[in-house]
Amino acid sequence: MKKFSKLCAVLCAGALALSLSGCGGEQNTTKTSDKKVQIEYWHVAAESFGGATVKELVADFNKKHPNIEVVEKYNPDMYKGLTQNLQAAIASGKNPDVVQMGWSYLNYAAENFKYTDLNSMLAKEVPGDKDFLAKNFLPNVLALAQTDDGKQIGVPYSISVPVLFINPELFAKAGLDPKNPPKTWKELAAAAKQIKEKTGDVGFFMQEYADNWAQQAIIESNGGSMLKKVDGKVKASFATPEAAEAYQLLADMVQNGSGLHATNEEGFQAFLSGKVGMVCTTIGKRANFEKSAKFPVLVARFPIFEGKTLKVPAGGNFLMMFSKDSAKQKAAWEFIKYLESPEAMSKWSTGTGYLPPVKDIEKNSPTFKELVQNNKNVQVALSTMPNLVKWASFPGANGLQAEQMLIDVRDVILSGKDSAKNALTQTEEKINKLL
Amino acid sequence: MVMKKNTWQATLFLLPAALLFLIFFYRPLLENVYLSFFQWNMISPTMKFVGGANYQNIFASAELVKILWNTLFLVLVLLILNFLLPYIYSYILGHLITRFNFFYRSALFLPSCISLAVASIIFLWFYNPLAGPLSVILNSIGMESPRWFKENGLVIIAVGSIIGWKTFGYNLIVMLAAMVAVPKELIEAAKLENASNWIIFKRIIIPMTSPTALYVFTITVVFGLQYMLVPVNMLTQGGPDQGSSNLVYIVYQYAFVFFQTGKSAAFAVLTMLFYMAFLVAKNKFLDKKVHYEN
Repeated sequence: MKKFSKLCAVLCAGALALSLSGCGGEQNTTKTSDKKVQIEYWHVAAESFGGATVKELVADFNKKHPNIEVVEKYNPDMYKGLTQNLQAAIASGKNPDVVQMGWSYLNYAAENFKYTDLNSMLAKEVPGDKDFLAKNFLPNVLALAQTDDGKQIGVPYSISVPVLFINPELFAKAGLDPKNPPKTWKELAAAAKQIKEKTGDVGFFMQEYADNWAQQAIIESNGGSMLKKVDGKVKASFATPEAAEAYQLLADMVQNGSGLHATNEEGFQAFLSGKVGMVCTTIGKRANFEKSAKFPVLVARFPIFEGKTLKVPAGGNFLMMFSKDSAKQKAAWEFIKYLESPEAMSKWSTGTGYLPPVKDIEKNSPTFKELVQNNKNVQVALSTMPNLVKWASFPGANGLQAEQMLIDVRDVILSGKDSAKNALTQTEEKINKLL
Repeated sequence: MVMKKNTWQATLFLLPAALLFLIFFYRPLLENVYLSFFQWNMISPTMKFVGGANYQNIFASAELVKILWNTLFLVLVLLILNFLLPYIYSYILGHLITRFNFFYRSALFLPSCISLAVASIIFLWFYNPLAGPLSVILNSIGMESPRWFKENGLVIIAVGSIIGWKTFGYNLIVMLAAMVAVPKELIEAAKLENASNWIIFKRIIIPMTSPTALYVFTITVVFGLQYMLVPVNMLTQGGPDQGSSNLVYIVYQYAFVFFQTGKSAAFAVLTMLFYMAFLVAKNKFLDKKVHYEN
């Protein structure tokens, strides 16, 4: 007993010492605010994906604004990785000021993060910029960064659309005309088959990132839908004949060998080394593909289903603000305004391949005008901008798990384990139970 | 009196380590158990108490069975690549080969110096079903490369081989140290009696190296399941259709991909039980067979 109490006393003393030293450390770090406002900018731009451009833009901004210092921080693993880090940062009370948020996390971010409400912030802190958003963006583009009830939670920054990348050399080898790429999915399936038969290489690969973005495009372009509202509640609604037909088309290509089912990186590697004829992925990969491929990469529009309207979900990101005090909010807003300026926007677009969401950029930025005129691939992507729809974003605490189920069902369908119709029906049931 | 003084001193010396251990290892474990009874997304100020619902949920899902099988299969692959093979190789290197010994050791150890992330990228290229070297070899003998990272079962072998490639060298060096420590006289004597290499291996090598073998066996299972996170997270994200998910990855996935902390904690408790069962089994069945010299 005596021994035990002694032990206890020592344990307590130790714990006390530890907690005291912890306090001491903290006091040193909290400093009164300097004259120079420091803000943190979180982005997902890896070195192969516009990282150098982010650094260039931040350096340029810091030079032009001596009283603000922007610190950029790269977050690996795209928007999922950034959201995870943001979650952890907010939980520990050290939030960044401006972040790039992926479109598919819109609902999740709106429901779970305490973001700075831009409209009320602007009215209070920078009344002169009250109309900045309305003046610089088309209403349908601005709406992309709004929740279902019309709340503006951020500013659109990068837009990407799914397009078809083509290897003209393989096309020619298979007796196809690269100048006349497939316009419908039926033509695409036939072309893929021809490539397989004539060259032995694979005809087609659709991106298999850890999201459902490109698959949503094909489902909705065939008249299906990902979500619908029933009695004010959002429900999954993709178990329709249209969606199944679109998905089955992809699965059939994989089954007859003209389509590839592999991890995303494997698919891109194979395309870049000339083993795949067509890849369906984001226009955001343009700069990277053009640089890394051994052949001149061509871009074609996302194919349609005959007689149906093309619907392509907007990929990319919007900017959200998390600053709390007035000085930081003002600085963060200044930075957002800079990022959205025609010149910065044009640099960003050149460095990544993203399309700029701001109005009239071709008029305001000569460099962007030049880029569009010289690069046909950018023109093609821009031509699908009127067909932009929202990237389906599942609401609620289980929203992110629902997205994973769509990724799982993709593997089930493409590997031929189950028909698209059955698999989609089962997954829809599972997701609706979750929501 | 002397005795008492000794325990007092021993306690004092043990204290710093014990404290750190209690605070940073056992407190989180207990907190994790506490968390598993809540529904929480890590940032919401309110944690919703749900009782055993998280556990109920897990046991009612088909996911658990799949994940347990995947875990056991991965452990099996790892044991073959990182325990059995190093065992045999170290015997060969230590007792059968006399030339180029140093070269083999360094060559086989080299991959251990490369980070798992880099190894994952190398193997992603290696296994590429269309353009990878493996597919070229398979094609040249008239076979088509399987989709390594997209088939159930195969994906676990592929992921296991990445971890195997990386940790094989370290385990080999550890085993080799034990092999070399086996007294040469014993083997010479056995050879004089005309014992075959197999008999020497079975009767002398295995018993004499058993403590090290047990260590390698344990780290193969315990570390291997942790190393798994890097290749799985980078290459498959648990796919295809949870084909490469396992007890450790699912904890990460629920916590940091789905932000369902409670369910993740419940899985973590199950993982803890899984490891405990493993360690109990190890102590009960294997420790008895180990021959410690002192």
